[in-house]
Amino acid sequence: MVPRYIRTLLELAVLVGLWWLGGWLGQYFGLPIPAGVLGLAILLLFLALRLIKPEWLENGARVLVGEMLLFFIPALMSLLDYGPLVREEGIRILMAVCFSTLLVMISTALTVEWMFRRRSRQDA
Amino acid sequence: MLDLSGVFWLALTLGGYVLSRKIYKRIKWYVLAPIVFVPTILYLIAIPTDTSYAQYSHYTGWLISLLGPATVAFAVPIWQQRRLLVRYWRALLAGIVVGSFVSVFSSWALAHLLALDAPVTLSLLPRSITTPFAMPMSKDLGGVPELTAAFVLITGVFGAVVGSLLLRFLPLRSALARGAMFGVGAHGAGTSRAYEVGIEEGTVAGLTMVLTGLFNLLGAQLLIWVL
Repeated sequence: MVPRYIRTLLELAVLVGLWWLGGWLGQYFGLPIPAGVLGLAILLLFLALRLIKPEWLENGARVLVGEMLLFFIPALMSLLDYGPLVREEGIRILMAVCFSTLLVMISTALTVEWMFRRRSRQDA
Repeated sequence: MLDLSGVFWLALTLGGYVLSRKIYKRIKWYVLAPIVFVPTILYLIAIPTDTSYAQYSHYTGWLISLLGPATVAFAVPIWQQRRLLVRYWRALLAGIVVGSFVSVFSSWALAHLLALDAPVTLSLLPRSITTPFAMPMSKDLGGVPELTAAFVLITGVFGAVVGSLLLRFLPLRSALARGAMFGVGAHGAGTSRAYEVGIEEGTVAGLTMVLTGLFNLLGAQLLIWVL
């Protein structure tokens, strides 16, 4: 039996490979779609064609999705180069971001809930 | 040659992440969550030492690249929850469309109201979509991808925090609406938070996060093509 961590590493390697394949296809056909999204589409296709079983990649997928926040952290540090902008407009930017996010979340949640209830009534 | 300060930043980022994740598992206080705690520590050290982003990202930049494989990985939970998607695609699509429009228009309107300058405004527009989509889109629009990445993050963190409050006030009976709220409004950080609410919420959040990115990408391409 292969040790669990080696198995997970292999799964991770497959996911990275699909990402790489997505990037290559995107470049080859000049598509404006990010590599990760093409990789996601390819993997969904493989899953739908039953060429890959979801259990094969489950652990690796869980690691990547579960630790996604770590991958975001360095992106947040980009503000280091925008000191003057942050001092000048930081509060206003924060207000815009927060208020807009609030509106998006409320409108999305209520729309989906309304559609869900309409659907439930139809079913009943 | 080995860049010692680069090693330091990488060690601090990874170490801080592992540590704060352990603490956050015990003390569910969002200030201690990795996405809030680690950047705070990093900034507290980086600002007094006058560290530039180039110095910081020398050995940590590859972490951002892992968002690519992470996006691929979403295929697995999406596939496993395909029944949910087939059954409720209309509701989810409606949420994604409404959320995306509200996001772009409210960002634009608020930026004008608050008199933010043009590059900042343009960098704000793709804010509600997940980083791998948002950064190239910001560039296409004439924004600054690095700024967008930071705005995306702030959106995610704020959305994750405020989402728990909204759950108390909004009359949401379905896991579908709770998940979509986090996924469309607060992408990655929101999705992590949604998984804490429930498996179904998390799955819906991950799904809507990716689909929102796709929808915005197609929308932007269409717009460029029409104009």
